[in-house]
Amino acid sequence: MEVMPQYDLSRLPENTALKQQKLPAHRLDLSASVVLSIFFATGGFCLCMGVILILSAKSTKELEINYTNICANCAQLREDSSNFDKECTCSVPFYLPENMEGNVYMYYKLYGFHQNLYRYILSRSNRQLLGKDIWDVKDCSPFQVSRNSTPIIPCGAIANSIFNDTITLSYNLNSSIHIEVPMLKSGLAWWTDKYVKFQNPRASDLASAFAGSAKPLHWTKPVYELDTDDPGNNGFVNEDLIVWMRTAAFPTFKKLYRRLKRVDYFAVGLPAGNYSFNISYNFPVTVFRGEKSVVLSTLTWIGGGGLFLGLTYTVTGALTLLASFAILAIHLMLKRTKKNFL
Amino acid sequence: MQSFEGEVKAGKLEICMEDSEMAISVSGFCLASHQCAGEENWVDSRTIYVGHKEPPPGAEAYIPQRYPDNRIVSSKYTFWNFIPKNLFEQFRRIANFYFLIIFLVQLIIDTPTSPVTSGLPLFFVITVTAIKQGYEDWLRHKADNAMNQCPVHFIQHGKLVRKQSRKLRVGDIVMVKEDETFPCDLIFLSSNRADGTCHVTTASLDGESSHKTHYAVQDTKGFHTEEDVDGLHATIECEQPQPDLYKFVGRINVYNDLNDPVVRPLGSENLLLRGATLKNTEKIFGVAIYTGMETKMALNYQSKSQKRSAVEKSMNTFLIVYLCILVSKALINTVLKYVWQSEPFRDEPWYNQKTESERQRNLFLRAFTDFLAFMVLFNYIIPVSMYVTVEMQKFLGSYFITWDEDMFDEEMGEGPLVNTSDLNEELGQVEYIFTDKTGTLTENNMAFKECCIEGHVYVPHVICNGQVLPDSSGIDMIDSSPGVSGREREELFFRAICLCHTVQVKDDDHGDDVDGPRKSPDSKSCVYISSSPDEVALVEGVQRLGFTYLRLKDNYMEILNRENDIERFELLEVLSFDSVRRRMSVIVKSTTGEIYLFCKGADSSIFPRVIEGKVDQVRSRVERNAVEGLRTLCVAYKRLEPEEYEDVCKLLQAAKVALQDREKKLAEAYEHIEKDLILLGATAVEDRLQEKAADTIEALQKAGIKVWVLTGDKMETASATCYACKLFRRSTQLLELTTKRLEEQSLHDVLFELSKTVLRCSGSLSRDSFSGLSTDMHDYGLIIDGAALSLIMKPREDGSSSGNYRELFLEICRNCSAVLCCRMAPLQKAQIVKLIKFSKEHPITLAIGDGANDVSMILEAHVGIGVIGKEGRQAARNSDYAIPKFKHLKKMLLVHGHFYYIRISELVQYFFYKNVCFIFPQFLYQFFCGFSQQTLYDTAYLTLYNISFTSLPILLYSLMEQHVGMEVLKRDPSLYRDIAKNALLRWRVFIYWTFLGVFDALVFFFGAYFMFENTTVTSNGQMFGNWTFGTLVFTVMVFTVTLKLALDTHYWTWINHFVIWGSLLFYVVFSLLWGGIIWPFLSYQRMYYVFIHMLSSGPAWLGITLLVTVSLLPDVLKKVLCRQLWPTATERTQNIQLRDRVSEFTPLASLQSWGAQSTRPLAAQCSSYSGRAVCSGWESEEYTVLPHTHPGLSHNTRYGCCRSSLETPT
Repeated sequence: MEVMPQYDLSRLPENTALKQQKLPAHRLDLSASVVLSIFFATGGFCLCMGVILILSAKSTKELEINYTNICANCAQLREDSSNFDKECTCSVPFYLPENMEGNVYMYYKLYGFHQNLYRYILSRSNRQLLGKDIWDVKDCSPFQVSRNSTPIIPCGAIANSIFNDTITLSYNLNSSIHIEVPMLKSGLAWWTDKYVKFQNPRASDLASAFAGSAKPLHWTKPVYELDTDDPGNNGFVNEDLIVWMRTAAFPTFKKLYRRLKRVDYFAVGLPAGNYSFNISYNFPVTVFRGEKSVVLSTLTWIGGGGLFLGLTYTVTGALTLLASFAILAIHLMLKRTKKNFL
Repeated sequence: MQSFEGEVKAGKLEICMEDSEMAISVSGFCLASHQCAGEENWVDSRTIYVGHKEPPPGAEAYIPQRYPDNRIVSSKYTFWNFIPKNLFEQFRRIANFYFLIIFLVQLIIDTPTSPVTSGLPLFFVITVTAIKQGYEDWLRHKADNAMNQCPVHFIQHGKLVRKQSRKLRVGDIVMVKEDETFPCDLIFLSSNRADGTCHVTTASLDGESSHKTHYAVQDTKGFHTEEDVDGLHATIECEQPQPDLYKFVGRINVYNDLNDPVVRPLGSENLLLRGATLKNTEKIFGVAIYTGMETKMALNYQSKSQKRSAVEKSMNTFLIVYLCILVSKALINTVLKYVWQSEPFRDEPWYNQKTESERQRNLFLRAFTDFLAFMVLFNYIIPVSMYVTVEMQKFLGSYFITWDEDMFDEEMGEGPLVNTSDLNEELGQVEYIFTDKTGTLTENNMAFKECCIEGHVYVPHVICNGQVLPDSSGIDMIDSSPGVSGREREELFFRAICLCHTVQVKDDDHGDDVDGPRKSPDSKSCVYISSSPDEVALVEGVQRLGFTYLRLKDNYMEILNRENDIERFELLEVLSFDSVRRRMSVIVKSTTGEIYLFCKGADSSIFPRVIEGKVDQVRSRVERNAVEGLRTLCVAYKRLEPEEYEDVCKLLQAAKVALQDREKKLAEAYEHIEKDLILLGATAVEDRLQEKAADTIEALQKAGIKVWVLTGDKMETASATCYACKLFRRSTQLLELTTKRLEEQSLHDVLFELSKTVLRCSGSLSRDSFSGLSTDMHDYGLIIDGAALSLIMKPREDGSSSGNYRELFLEICRNCSAVLCCRMAPLQKAQIVKLIKFSKEHPITLAIGDGANDVSMILEAHVGIGVIGKEGRQAARNSDYAIPKFKHLKKMLLVHGHFYYIRISELVQYFFYKNVCFIFPQFLYQFFCGFSQQTLYDTAYLTLYNISFTSLPILLYSLMEQHVGMEVLKRDPSLYRDIAKNALLRWRVFIYWTFLGVFDALVFFFGAYFMFENTTVTSNGQMFGNWTFGTLVFTVMVFTVTLKLALDTHYWTWINHFVIWGSLLFYVVFSLLWGGIIWPFLSYQRMYYVFIHMLSSGPAWLGITLLVTVSLLPDVLKKVLCRQLWPTATERTQNIQLRDRVSEFTPLASLQSWGAQSTRPLAAQCSSYSGRAVCSGWESEEYTVLPHTHPGLSHNTRYGCCRSSLETPT
């Protein structure tokens, strides 16, 4: 239905700048000089940035050791899940040609492990991990309860599949002297995760707080025995657990495992020489055709040694400069021909 | 009455049918009516018992009918059905339905995105619309109630009863007092006036405020008291309700005592319409015949058909493309998912086992669910918010037209009206303008110029300011003084003009509330009111020549002649004006008993009927006047013998009482009566051109718009006007396709000849232009008249090649710069518009007119514009936009239309672009998460991206953007060509934007991917998870799309700054807050501190900067290069504007003197330069000077200008 318009005779429109579309405005003018200077500036900036980034990325050192094939016998053992309680260790020797100076970080890296599957990511109970309501397992399907219907703590697919290899690094001064490299278990997870998002239930004794619960299917020990030495790293606030619970974006990912404790021999970092990783091999990867490796790496202010940012900056800078010169050339050419009538 | 010289104001015919003493013998009529009943077979009629009194038994067998009560229901909903009905209405829109489906799918199946993400916006849209519609409906309910409950006076058992209006029934006798509106459609029985007339204004019906006279039924007009009326025993037969306000056919049977009934015809002059107001009459009695929703007013309120703009059409096409993209994305992912999972080790790895129920699910069901889940995941590519934004942009944007000061006419106190906001952008796309002449190009302010009586020319004295000399003897006899017989003829001529019209004299008793348009200071002269200004001009003109029309009283017309004697003529018949006959006649009886028929009309309709008189002299004078652009009328008379008159009477009465084909029968009768006339002379009336009409037309033509004038006027007058308003120029070669020419040659030959002329020239033009010889371009003007047009439109008898002429005709038209169609009937105007509209290029048409005769073409054209003129509001009411003057069309199209188009096209393209940017990374992510439908972004981001992070900048852009200044657009109409043919929404542009979106999405996604892959991006060694990755992509995206818009914005007001930087800031603040607390109502805290941690890492900052730069760079580069190499006219103007400002020393001075002398030369240069570049890209002269335009022409890489020059070789 149409409403009859009212014809009012005294409806001179208001003379405001907004209504007359005459608001004071600045016009964005892409004049040649402005455009050129912006282009040159962008190009220059990117090029410089790129060089700096590449140089600093080059200064980092990184070493990755893939132990999937080296520990093939262990891998084979783990393919059968009934052998889960059998221990299997494996030692991976390697030679570090140069000193790794500064803070050294030890990562484990998984290939082909999809931590980003939709249902996998959902399968966790945040309320439980907050320590508020540890019996809340409703979001954790299909790992909510154990076979005898006791709730699993920590429940869910993520917690269930925690990376449970134990990796230690030993420095082999010579064939007889093996020094275990001291490692820190702290500072691996985000501060906010450790102190806000993950909290143990308030109880004097963790074991009693979790009494009546089942440990996750793949775990060999319950959550309150994750780190019996350090109560601040036990239960839900165990940093390995927290790190694992932050799901990775891609099927190939690495997670921080340990930090070098810079004492004694290792005050400046890892000296060059012979080392070996002693791995207690628990985490099966060959069943899903995955691989796993250990990474040792130093960092600079821009993080690890990825060249991507530096290279992209350099390429972008170079291309922008090239484009700038092209524009300049065209501009000069047109200016000459256009002069006649402009 | 009407202007005879053509303009057919069909809507406003006031048929002054005088049922004088013409009672047909009862038996005779009965015979006729029985015959009629047999042949007419009118089932679509109703019989009304006046006052619910049964007719005497055996009168006729009537079928009782049920009529609705007098309740007006304009509301759509009731309290109970509002929610279901409104929801149904809303979900009938395809977009809403789509979103509903998506929402339901989200609710039902287990999808990665929460139903909230699409439910919330949908809910918002639906709620806002429902509230708006509910409120509007509530207002209507209130209005309905007020109307339905207002008291009405009934006659019941001879007494006056007050009742609520809604209780009125068909057949009730109603009394209406002065200044009351009629409660339903009434047959006018009697008034307190002795002559049985009443005056009515229909201001609220069709907007005409002039008073119209209606006539009571002859046999009942004497019933002045309630008792009298109650005693009336009659039945009324009439047609079932029809929406046409001006047509009514019926008859009344009055049963007097025991005699046979008296039958009277009823026409629209007896019908009082609901909504009209009684004026100048104390009270009337009437019987209700149509009530409630069957009243003509209610029938007329049915909403007009929706017009959709070209932009909306392309938007819908793009939507379908995106729907296809969406479906194919979902399909691809579903297929890939199952391919990927076919490897057993991937299907169900130990760390992500399925539940038992999932394992047992049917594979196809699972696949279908997955497909739906992917659909849901990617559904944001078609955003709900686009619809909301477009609606808001249109609604708010249309206010700029109403607010525009330049388009306000102070003289009339009227500003532009926007009746629909759906077509704003169509104003920027107009290719053909069809304009009415009278009242649109001209002022429709008639002034009597001269009359010619038997070859002698009389010019009344006129003092400059338009006032009449007090002594009324001012006649200039240009020719030699006529003889005695001449003097007789002269007086007869004046009497004819005095008598042959339907002008009303304003009643001085009620003078204050009648708006007399021309109150003369001279007390002796009367104030005349007529719906046709021509008639007023004529009567006033003849008043200055000594004959004054005084009034019509009791069927006697009184004239004050030169000797100041009053002459009385009895008005016997009025053969009213219609557009087909183009003439009107009156039959009067002088006091001496002589019966005259006076006829005036267009020369073409008078001359063939004349048998005597100085035809040649008059014709030559008429033609001369017509060439000067005057409106001419011829006057003729004939003397009727009493016997002849008897025949005439019978003929007319028979035609008038016919219920079916009454019009046709009347026309036949008129045809029979108006013949063998004696020519008296001709009159000439001037209609001045509207101010700046020529300027406007010139500008519109420069803008590449073809202007056609469609008029009912005769050819000479019309072409004179066309010359005056520069539609035709001196150099224009006129081609004629008129009846006169068709008499000599067959249509076939003429058409082929014309097309040969036109095509040869355009062919040679292109050849010449290559050789660089041709400099003078021919431009053609075509003149076609209504008769020739109907020949062309008529399908050929053989049927073999029907439509062939049309094609040929269109071909000719296309090559003409201006077309004049004269002698057009209203329907033919619409036909022409339709013809062009559906021709093979499907151009966008605009029709502009001021009168009721233009309504059909206004409704037909893509955009209908009404001029709020002197001839009522019909056109304005039916139009999409109404403007006070023709000159306002220039700003309307060149400035507002251009702006709206630029704005909405950017809005549409940008919306698709930003949603490609939004969703494509999500699609890519599926390849990395095992096609498991994992979302890349957090739910809050998914929901708010379109609603709050990126909505306001584009909305404000689409309201504020001015890519070039308003002044520049007005000064340089050729810029309009840049956006012609939907230039900014062509496939090429659309694909460019889509690919830009895909490119940007690739940059965001893979940029972030390579940054994350394998490397630590923090300096403390800690790693980021998938939500940080998503947030990084999202942040880059929000910044990129917002900055992209910022780069496209040319016009930076503080509002733009505020919303663009404001939304970026809002995004940052929101993200900080969203991740800053553990929200108690959420079951997850996945975003907790994610944003802050991301910002604490240096590489993330560097990465964001880099990725934003890389995303924007190609577009900027493309813009800069195209601007340099193939600039459009608009960009040149921008450059020149810029250069100009730079060259000025003080920026303030340059702003002030903008448009003044210092910039004039440049501006002129610019306009001519761009104009030449646009129109004549072929000319070699240009070619040498402007080498860079050539790539533009050949590559077609630029949108508008070059293409149009290719398509319309001028």
